[in-house]
Amino acid sequence: MVGKVEPVNGNVKSGSNQSTPAATQAATLKSDLLNSLSLKSLKLKTKQQELLIRVSILCLVYVLAFMTRLFSVLRYESMIHEFDPYFNYRTTLFLTQKGFYEFWNWFDYESWYPLGRIVGGTLYPGLMVTAAIIYWVLRFLRFAVHIREVCVLTAPFFASNTTLVAYFFGKEIWDSGAGLVAAALIAICPGYISRSVAGSYDNEGVAIFALLLTFYLFVKAVNTGSLAWALASAFGYFYMVSAWGGYVFIINLIPLYVLVLLITGRYSMRLYVAYNCMYVVGMLLAMQIRFVGFQHVQSGEHMAAMGVFFLMQVFYFLDWVKHLLSDTKLFQAFLRITVTCAVGVGAIALGVGTASGYISPWTGRFYSLLDPTYAKDHIPIIASVSEHQPTAWSSFMFDFHILLFLFPAGLYFCFKRLTDATIFIVMYGLTSMYFAGVMVRLILVATPAVCLISAIAVSATIKNLTLLVRAKNKAVSSGSSRGTSSAKGSSKGLIDHSQPFQRNGAIVLLLGAFYLLSKYATHCTWVTSEAYSSPSIVLSARGAHGNRIIFDDYREAYFWLRQNTPPDAKVMSWWDYGYQITAMGNRTVIVDNNTWNNTHIATVGRAMSSYEDEAFEIMRSLDVDYVLVVFGGVTGYSSDDINKFLWMVRIGGGVFPVIKEPDYLVNGEYRVDKGAAPKMLNCLMYKLSYYRFGELTTEYGKPPGYDRARGVEIGNKDIKLEYLEEAFTTSNWIVRIYKVKPPNNRFCNGDCHGCRILVPCFWMMKWLKILRSSFSFRMKYFLE
Amino acid sequence: MRPKSENQNLSTTSSSSISDAPSSTSIDPIFLILRILPFSFLRPPRLRLKIPTFTLPSPMTVYALVLLTYFMVVSGIVYDVIVEPPGIGSTQDRVTGSVRPVVFLPGRVNGQYIIEGLSSGFMFVMGGIGIVLMDLALDRNRAKSVKLSYASAGITSVVIAYMMSMLFIRIKIPAYLR
Repeated sequence: MVGKVEPVNGNVKSGSNQSTPAATQAATLKSDLLNSLSLKSLKLKTKQQELLIRVSILCLVYVLAFMTRLFSVLRYESMIHEFDPYFNYRTTLFLTQKGFYEFWNWFDYESWYPLGRIVGGTLYPGLMVTAAIIYWVLRFLRFAVHIREVCVLTAPFFASNTTLVAYFFGKEIWDSGAGLVAAALIAICPGYISRSVAGSYDNEGVAIFALLLTFYLFVKAVNTGSLAWALASAFGYFYMVSAWGGYVFIINLIPLYVLVLLITGRYSMRLYVAYNCMYVVGMLLAMQIRFVGFQHVQSGEHMAAMGVFFLMQVFYFLDWVKHLLSDTKLFQAFLRITVTCAVGVGAIALGVGTASGYISPWTGRFYSLLDPTYAKDHIPIIASVSEHQPTAWSSFMFDFHILLFLFPAGLYFCFKRLTDATIFIVMYGLTSMYFAGVMVRLILVATPAVCLISAIAVSATIKNLTLLVRAKNKAVSSGSSRGTSSAKGSSKGLIDHSQPFQRNGAIVLLLGAFYLLSKYATHCTWVTSEAYSSPSIVLSARGAHGNRIIFDDYREAYFWLRQNTPPDAKVMSWWDYGYQITAMGNRTVIVDNNTWNNTHIATVGRAMSSYEDEAFEIMRSLDVDYVLVVFGGVTGYSSDDINKFLWMVRIGGGVFPVIKEPDYLVNGEYRVDKGAAPKMLNCLMYKLSYYRFGELTTEYGKPPGYDRARGVEIGNKDIKLEYLEEAFTTSNWIVRIYKVKPPNNRFCNGDCHGCRILVPCFWMMKWLKILRSSFSFRMKYFLE
Repeated sequence: MRPKSENQNLSTTSSSSISDAPSSTSIDPIFLILRILPFSFLRPPRLRLKIPTFTLPSPMTVYALVLLTYFMVVSGIVYDVIVEPPGIGSTQDRVTGSVRPVVFLPGRVNGQYIIEGLSSGFMFVMGGIGIVLMDLALDRNRAKSVKLSYASAGITSVVIAYMMSMLFIRIKIPAYLR
């Protein structure tokens, strides 16, 4: 810049010596310089200015979506949260260490002892392969990252990518303004953040990106009718199938959408090309995933897509015949016959397939979405998961805030301007909102649709208001413009008089809209910080003086297991903790979160709810060495095993009728104090949780043995363990580990006081043992 | 109306001819029996019945239905059907012993009573309708007074809906935004 200044000074110097024309020339040169420093003289046309604004907004939104998910990494450390992500982390570790073929053919003998688990065929590999590819790319670029860091930050990275896809999708449905608003809304929406926060290394993190990408590519294919976009959407579908079991939603929503288009008379060649290509190629690609297998032709959940595929062929055929025939009456008769035949043949084929068993019926997980009462009565495992509960209004409000108002308004705008694309987003929004109402976890699937539709409402409303604000010059020419038809169907907003009042009103409304959006941003950040950034494995509470206390008991217990038990030790616990024990404790478990074998879980549930001697027989038959229970009585932690105990009883009782739930309840009430049922006070879970707890004073002013999570004093304080011994209790008593004692070497219990009467004692003990085992001979069943 | 009456004449003549034509050529035994037994002395009336045709409803009708289902879903009707909470909760006053109603289920985010769900759902729908009214107010082809009333109704709806929703969530979750 210095070089530039000097000649000006020189000119000014020389100019001041000369007459006024030179002075004005100098002044113009100075103003040119000033202009060249400002943005305007970069000589950007309006289009380029708009492009610059759009790109900068998208970059800011990208960074924002990543940053807002980093709360737990900053507060605690970079670690994996929850339960399921630990299994995903363990498999990704295996993949990076051993390679893809070992991973694809892996049989894991360290979980579900003694059954084992075919990992290669029972998981969705998309997430692991994605993280492994990112890891290998970074390694190739010589960034020496650990695979754990990649796993922790995969979900925020894909959330940022989702915002980009949302922008393009919004541009496809409405216009680029709506796309920008959609990207901004989805970047911070708590419904999405809850499952894609840093550390939540779970399938949904990449699956939502794949879902939105597939939908965007399909709508683009329907709009353009091009084969390339349809093929791209098939590959997007393949990525979704590899990532998450929720791909069933795509393979049912897209045929439903095609059906609605056919009913509303929007059949076209574009739709034909798009759907056929996507269905056939997508189905073939989906069969490459071993876990999915041949379900696309065998399972009842995928039959809708096949039915619509054949219906499309019928439509094409009819169109061709109509093109050939010139006689309409003949064509009407032909139409009636063909449609009847096609529907009849389809129904017969479906009936034969279902009756012969080739087409399997809807599985329990998805059937309970259509009939929500089914799981409660028939499948207690599905009903017991807290994420599968139906949704109350406050969960909606928490996860959506303002979007709940904007959603119906956006639907109105979509219905006003019906195109192929808006029909799709309306259907996606309605079906996903219904499913979100059935199950809390599915609010995640509804979030992109709600954000897109709300973005349409915001964009349309703000466009109307800004048109009002900018309408100041058009009042004069309103007479002439009335003759010309304006862009949108109903010409908007030009009232003859009260012009400034209307303009002020519009400005006030604009400020109101911005106020609402800023409250949305505040709410989203607060919810993210308070509710969704806790890594369930580390608990925190506020101390007496407002300071934050951290309970790291889980990891303490798992590392104790890792370092103080023999490498081939088997640990029995409730299935919630299985993945964490295998990943961090590196020990074999009996059951884990995969919950694929209900009988095995029921066996564990039966062991936990039986008396100690019966439970010992079960544990001996399963080769259990250690038992792990979670207890929240000292800290007031409410998600412990005593609160989950009734589910153990229900699941165990579902397979072994000897366990009856009313035995553990008193007048239908679940209690642990003096008035509790006697079976409850003596079952294994109670003994293991409250062993030595009767001597502990937990709260000032309360008697010893006061359970802070239930708020009562426990009933049975004097607990003696016969077959187990305490191995480890964490510092806040949250996790307690017990060692199963080996059976006695001799038949005697060892307290015969010198045992002078050996032979008759021997026979008496033997008969007592036979009597006891004859009462519990049914235990042999679980060996099969 | 003339073409219609002509059609009617034509249709009556043709219908009579048509009714004769299939009766003479029909091989349906039940039809033949019926033709003899009641209908030889009973005269069936001439009706103009059409097979009901299926017309698609207008978009705004569908939108009204959609709004109704949205109201039900967002009020948590599935939660009500499965968990069967009471319509309104009650607590007993410790001092006087009288039973006082509790509208909002305290302590949990994912739990509600029926009335609480319905009133919150109504607030959400009211907010949505407010924005729709504001858009209707900008339509040119209406009287000015109607436009003004739409605009004011829309703005008040949105304001009231937002304030009430904030109030509800603050009552339900006391630690909200703190």
